[in-house]
Amino acid sequence: MKNETPELFKKIFALSVIAVLIVGFFLAFTEMPKGWGVNVNGRVSRLYVLKNVRTATKSLDSGKFFAKGVKPLRTDVAYTPIEFKKTANLEDGAANVVTSIVVDYRGFDTLGEVTVLFLAVSGVMMLLFGKRKKERKKKTEPSLIMYVGTRIAFSVILLFGIYIFVHGHLTPGGGFPGGAVIASGILGLFLGRRGYSPNHMGLKAFESLSGIAFVIIGLIGFFSVHSFLANFLPTGIIGDLYSAGFIALIYIAVGMKVGSELAAVVDTMITDTEEEWS
Amino acid sequence: MIIYVATVVVIAIIISSLIAVFSKKLLSSIIAMGLVSLGVSGLFFFLQAPDVAITEAAIGAGLSTAIFVIALKRVKKGETKDEE
Repeated sequence: MKNETPELFKKIFALSVIAVLIVGFFLAFTEMPKGWGVNVNGRVSRLYVLKNVRTATKSLDSGKFFAKGVKPLRTDVAYTPIEFKKTANLEDGAANVVTSIVVDYRGFDTLGEVTVLFLAVSGVMMLLFGKRKKERKKKTEPSLIMYVGTRIAFSVILLFGIYIFVHGHLTPGGGFPGGAVIASGILGLFLGRRGYSPNHMGLKAFESLSGIAFVIIGLIGFFSVHSFLANFLPTGIIGDLYSAGFIALIYIAVGMKVGSELAAVVDTMITDTEEEWS
Repeated sequence: MIIYVATVVVIAIIISSLIAVFSKKLLSSIIAMGLVSLGVSGLFFFLQAPDVAITEAAIGAGLSTAIFVIALKRVKKGETKDEE
C-alpha cells in the first residue's frame, strides 16, 4: 500500500511528457513561416465549391436546388454538372464533400484526432496493464454455440470493417467507424472463449506502423507538393475504386490504427490483471 | 412521415435518458445509455449525416456500452475484495 503512489505518479508524469511533446509537434507545424508547414489557406481553393459541389452554380431559372429568394454563390462561371463515373480530374476526387474536407483539406485535424485517441489509449493501458492473474476454475465456460458463432461472426465483421474503410472515399464512413467495427468483432471473440488473448506484439506493431504510415504519407506531400498532408496522387474518375488520390491510403492507415487501438483497450480492460500500483 | 418517426425516436431518447439518470441499478443505467446512443444515431441518419450515424452506432451503442459493463464488473470485484 505504501508504495502505490510513486508508481502511478511516474506513469502520469510520463503520459504528460508525451502529451507536451505532441503539442509541440503540432505547434511546430502550424506556426512555421509561410511556405512551410501546413498551408491551410492556400489549400482551400476558391474554385473548390464550384468544381466539387453540384448546387453551387446551378442557375436561378431552374429553381430546383434553391429555395425561393436564395441566390447561387456565383453566376459568372458556367455550370458544368458532375457526372458519376465520367467526370475526371476534379480538384478532389472523393464522392462525398465531407470526406474530402475531413481527410484532404483538414487532414491535419484528422491527424490530431488520431493522436488524441492514441493518448487516451496509452493512458488506459498505463493504468491497467500488468501481470495476468491466474484463472479461477469456478468460472463458467461459454457454450459451444457461443464459441462457434462468435468465430463465424468475427470473419464477417472483420470483412465489413475492412470494406468500410477501404471504400471511405466512395461511401459514408471511413477510418474511425471501420476501426470501431473491427474492434467490436474482437470483443465478440473475447466473449466467446474464456482466456482468449490476442497477440500483443502484433497489435502494437500494427498500431505503430499505421501511425507512422500516416505521417509518412503527410511527409511525402510535404516534400513533393510543399504542404504537409497534400494530395500527391492523381484524382482519377469520380466513383472509381482507384480514385481520390491519397484519401484511400490515409483511411486505410486510420482504420488499422483505430481498430488495433480499440482492440487493445478491450483487451486490457477485460483480462484480469494484477495492477502494479494496487 | 419521417417527422412522426423522428418524434417517436426523440420520445424514446428522453425516456431512456431519464431511466439512465434515475435508475437504482447501474447496469440498467448503462443499457439505457446504449439505447440513447442508438436513438441519437437514428436521428443523425434522419438529418442526412450517415457517416456520423455509422460512427455513433459503432462507438456509442456498441463499444462504449461494452466497456462500461466491463468497468462496472471490475469495480464490483474491487468492492467485494475490500469487504473480505
